[in-house]
Amino acid sequence: MANLAIDSIKERTFDAIVIGSGASGGWAAKELTERGLKTLLLERGRDVVHVKDYPTTNLYPYEFEHRGETTHADKQANPIANRCYAYKEDSQHFFVKDDEHPYVQEKEFDWIRGYQVGGKSLLWARQTQRWSEYDFEGPARDGFAVDWPIRFADIAPWYSHVERFVGIAGNRDGLATLPDGEFLPGYPLNAVEDHFRNAMNLHYKGRHVISARCAHLSQPQPIHIQQGRVQCQNRKLCQRGCPFGGYFSSNSSTIPWAQKTGNLTLRPHSVAHSVLYDEALGRAVGVKVIDTDSLEEIDFYAKVIFVNASTLNTNLILLNSVSSRFPDGLGNDNGLMGKFVAFHNYTARISAEYDGLLQYRTDGRNPAGGGYIPNFRNVEKQETDFLRGWAAAFSASRYENRDSSGVGQVLKHGLLNSTWSNWRVGSHMMAETIPKEHNRVWLDADRKDKWGMPLLHVSVDYADDDWKRRQDYYDRMAEMYESAGFTNIKTQDDGRRPGNDIHEMGGIRMGHDPKTSLLNKWNQLHLCQNVYVTDGACMTSTATQNPTLTYMALAARAVDYAVNQLKQG
Amino acid sequence: MLYIAGGTLVLPACFRQSGRTTIELTHLVVSDADEAMLETLVETLIPATDNPGGKALLLHLFVLKMVDDCHGPEDQQSFAEGLRVFTGWARKELSVGFKDAEKEKRETLLARIDDAGDLVGKFFSLVKRRAIQGYMNSKYVMTNLVKYELVPGRYDGYFPMEKADGITAK
Repeated sequence: MANLAIDSIKERTFDAIVIGSGASGGWAAKELTERGLKTLLLERGRDVVHVKDYPTTNLYPYEFEHRGETTHADKQANPIANRCYAYKEDSQHFFVKDDEHPYVQEKEFDWIRGYQVGGKSLLWARQTQRWSEYDFEGPARDGFAVDWPIRFADIAPWYSHVERFVGIAGNRDGLATLPDGEFLPGYPLNAVEDHFRNAMNLHYKGRHVISARCAHLSQPQPIHIQQGRVQCQNRKLCQRGCPFGGYFSSNSSTIPWAQKTGNLTLRPHSVAHSVLYDEALGRAVGVKVIDTDSLEEIDFYAKVIFVNASTLNTNLILLNSVSSRFPDGLGNDNGLMGKFVAFHNYTARISAEYDGLLQYRTDGRNPAGGGYIPNFRNVEKQETDFLRGWAAAFSASRYENRDSSGVGQVLKHGLLNSTWSNWRVGSHMMAETIPKEHNRVWLDADRKDKWGMPLLHVSVDYADDDWKRRQDYYDRMAEMYESAGFTNIKTQDDGRRPGNDIHEMGGIRMGHDPKTSLLNKWNQLHLCQNVYVTDGACMTSTATQNPTLTYMALAARAVDYAVNQLKQG
Repeated sequence: MLYIAGGTLVLPACFRQSGRTTIELTHLVVSDADEAMLETLVETLIPATDNPGGKALLLHLFVLKMVDDCHGPEDQQSFAEGLRVFTGWARKELSVGFKDAEKEKRETLLARIDDAGDLVGKFFSLVKRRAIQGYMNSKYVMTNLVKYELVPGRYDGYFPMEKADGITAK
């Protein structure tokens, strides 16, 4: 029996464990396995094998029973998931249904989740921008959160490393606010997006409209072909999973790459319960897992552990990792774990019309989505009565008007003979939010989910400074639209709840000082240094950029450090 | 054999006494006569010409499917009541059932749908909206008339309008 137990422990022992197979966990697994570490990749959901498990990917609109709509019953049962822009009849199998994993909303918060191999990397909006030096310096300069323990130069080579493998379409725009990367050819702006860009250059200093940078293979390189990925085919059906591997996901890229090394063990259906801490050794020794099929508890062991469970679940797991040394969560002596959760404010839109350039329209589809306006507020110095700023998406299109009046042949003729509208332009805001101590998550003392995990309380909300930033977006964008000759300008508060931006960040922030932060500059828990957090939970501040590229770069950088530490013994 | 409701494959769960194909509904209760009337209504909205109309594309079944699955109890009740009132109103105005009236008379009647009151107005606009959706998203239209591209493989942000003739792709 003793030998059996020893064998069993041996089978459950790896060099490294990664919790979570989304964008950042997939990167950790790829880097660890490439460096020769036997790695266990834990995923709480089911396996999703690239192409094979994309059941809707090649369906035509008429092959969906409800032409893409979700049903009334589904909307009633899953209001949170249904509020996500990407949750449709073609993608709903990749989302967590509301009742599958309950949480406690102290304040209204839409927690959008994808529990499967690949996580939300299957579903993400694929927008990828580097942070700038201004962003890393922000908290220290403006006196909020804590100082980032890294600067742009620390992460720049890792941005490059990730970008080359992922494949990022973009132009070298030469902007200090949005550093250039290792780009594949950018997707072009269209006639009116270009017009807007030119008008901004003419009328303003420092207000740039660039092609949105995105994780699409506009021109695959050998490294992408080796992954089995080919050129993006402009389908824009990405939320179904892409049979071409035209956009980056863990499923199409990092996970199969890690599997090819022979060093990866992928274990789906495995809820990470807690990180196991050995008081005698003074370090973490493994991860306790709940098998979702058998509900059995199984302990796995490793020298190094990466927690990439997605921001809030990473908070949940580490808060739940209690021992007599760490009664309030692993490495949480200062009591800040779960606090200073932040997000991006996406509540504002502005639309207008343009009657020029009617000799053009668009043809085909632009996977980048159009243009991007990097933040230009409070960049060099404080200019406004709110801190930091906002970035914006911008796009222009024409649509086909179909006359649906009348009945009979009149109606049929109207439907089948379209006319083109004038240009319609639209923008949505992506504003920085300031991490606040009272925006936090914590564990319920009694109630547990069906896997025995404590329910997570979420108390995260907007604040007055968010509305000041938004008013500035409305005002600046309206003046910019006017200067470009756009008409019928309309602003819109889309009323979305925090969380619906799907950019929740923080709770286990990086910093210099163990008294005021949880992670050091290598994403190690200050107080348990063989545990690394490189998903959104590590974020000290939010900047305005879509965050996934930064998580992936931090993951690759932290693995490099962890492996070097292990090799040095 | 499979039937296609606006392009959706539908197993003929049952046949009406009339022999007409139908679909299973969870919430709506629709008689054979109601269904026949709806079939005529979608055909009146979108008639067969040199290409198929609402009846051939089974748009009435698509309308029923959508009202049954994608609308709440309130809409379903107002649909059912609207259908009943419309049926009576049409019979009174046309002296025969809507299904049995001549095409021109049916079209003329629908042109003054506003006279029939709010309930009928709501019913009619729901049927029309869903029928148009089913039509534009039908396999026939999407493969023959307004072609849908699953794999465009291109993007042109300066596509000249004069080149657009005959191309409906977007």
